[in-house]
Amino acid sequence: MARRVVVLGIESTAHTFGCGIVDSSGNILANVNNTYIPAKGGIHPRESAQHHSDVAPRVIRTALSEAKLSMDQVDAIAVSLGPGLGPCLRVGATICRALAVAYDKPLIPVNHAVAHIEIAKLTTGFKDPLIVFVSGGNTIIAAYSDGRYRVFGETLDIALGNLLDAFAREAHLPHPGGPRVEELAKKGERLLKLPYIVKGQDVSYSGLLTAAVKLLSEGHRIEDLCYSLQEYAFSMLAEVAERALAYTEKKELVLTGGVAANSELQRKLMMVAEEHNAKFGVVPKALSGDNGAMIAWTGVLAYVHGVTINVEKSYVKPRWRLDEVDIPWI
Amino acid sequence: MRSIYLGFEGKIIKKGAEAELYLIDFLGIPAILKKRIPKPYRAKELDAHIRRMRTSHEVTMMFHARVCGVPVPAIYDVDPDEGVIIMEYIPGPTLKEMTLKDYEVSSIFKLVGFYVGKMHLNNIVHGDLTTANIIVPEPEKPFFVDFGLAERTGELEAIGTDVHLMLRALESTHYSKVKELFNAFLRGYREIMGGKVENVLKKVQEIRRRGRYVEERRAKIH
Ligand SMILES: Nc1ncnc2c1ncn2[C@@H]1O[C@H](COP(=O)(O)OP(=O)(O)O)[C@@H](O)[C@H]1O
Ligand SMILES: [Mg+2]
Repeated sequence: MARRVVVLGIESTAHTFGCGIVDSSGNILANVNNTYIPAKGGIHPRESAQHHSDVAPRVIRTALSEAKLSMDQVDAIAVSLGPGLGPCLRVGATICRALAVAYDKPLIPVNHAVAHIEIAKLTTGFKDPLIVFVSGGNTIIAAYSDGRYRVFGETLDIALGNLLDAFAREAHLPHPGGPRVEELAKKGERLLKLPYIVKGQDVSYSGLLTAAVKLLSEGHRIEDLCYSLQEYAFSMLAEVAERALAYTEKKELVLTGGVAANSELQRKLMMVAEEHNAKFGVVPKALSGDNGAMIAWTGVLAYVHGVTINVEKSYVKPRWRLDEVDIPWI
Repeated sequence: MRSIYLGFEGKIIKKGAEAELYLIDFLGIPAILKKRIPKPYRAKELDAHIRRMRTSHEVTMMFHARVCGVPVPAIYDVDPDEGVIIMEYIPGPTLKEMTLKDYEVSSIFKLVGFYVGKMHLNNIVHGDLTTANIIVPEPEKPFFVDFGLAERTGELEAIGTDVHLMLRALESTHYSKVKELFNAFLRGYREIMGGKVENVLKKVQEIRRRGRYVEERRAKIH
């Protein structure tokens, strides 16, 4: 049997700074994450980056002590180089480079979207799923084919998590917005009319946001609004997921990313999977949002397949596309 | 108007994402009956509305496309309440099947580009341009189907989205031939669209950035 490998991974693409430690059997030895909560409005990249530098030493130290490991016992450092917000990415990259040099460890480049996919596969045991990846910054439907994850559907404008958060802010709901919308939606009774925009295998959410905000200003019940917003947004996503499932003929469907925790979205996608005799799985809640463990686990997969990067070449890639990444471990 | 063919007898030939397709006998000739099926994941009222709208919309848009010389199956009958369309049967493989089987398809892609150009020039946007929605009964005549998401518009945004969908279908499914086939598509497309092509391609780039990259993707409502 191959030697056990332990990888420490750092996530810092957006509002979460995380450190995870995972071994080559897929055991999550530590997963410590600290999320920046803006006082008001959306993410300010520089403020978020400042938060990351502030919490980084403590997050990393806590992760090591949770795993009961010292840096010497870690085999490699995995860094989430993108896609994401430049200033935030640079904090993680700078720390990882410093750790790699100071402790003489190999550095492993990890794509954030690939990490959300791999952690979902690890935790569900699925081998070749159609992937629905939904978070604050991403809405992607993908599947593996011939060396890479290929994109079969996506948003044409804003991401699903972004839609829910932005609406919650407009409605002055307390943080975190997404879960609040979900709670209120459960008490919704009336389906209000909103735009349903599907184009091919893609969705468009910006028109939905504008229309929902307009209804808000007209004084509709907030419960009905949340229910209607979710019903439209999730039905659109379920439809394009179904299109991709029929098109790719995959037999597994997995939901990952921060919005995966939403139970109504899970319910809809489960029905899509059932229609096409596919198995359905969801990433566990603790690993659905941005986290260090998914970077560490993807780092393990990459490392044992010889993927490392020179420190001098470890530039951040704010626009690193999912379908640009070679996947040698499948 | 109820279709006289609701009590049809026929054999199911395809189960797509939205619809079931049956091969039936229509007054003595073979025909395709496309039935949109209810989706349990959508609220009932929303689902019924979508199926009804798309059904009537699809026949209208197929008719428009046919009028401007784009190969599209002829419509025989429609029943929006039942989500049923009866149309000409086009025997042949889809362009997806042909491309995956490594047939020489460059010249077909050029024709596809030519006809998509015709649609765009006539303010028709297909809305679901993938190789699975093109049937090739003979190499000189690719037929377009699945107009349920089509739009009557000349807006650059919608036209750019159409071209993006075609390019993405190539990237996801025919990834080893993206350059060759997209260039062939553009050769035909340019024949009709001329100098407008550069603007469309710029739009395509912008659309792709928006959907894929975090910074462009954040909502700006103020
Ligand atoms: N008129 C037709 N003649 C022959 N085959 C057809 C015809 N219309 C559709 N098909 C076949 O059925 C498939 C599904 O039809 P389509 O209209 O695209 O429905 P869906 O919305 O479910 O994708 C097409 O990809 C094509 O292979
Ligand atoms: Mg189709």
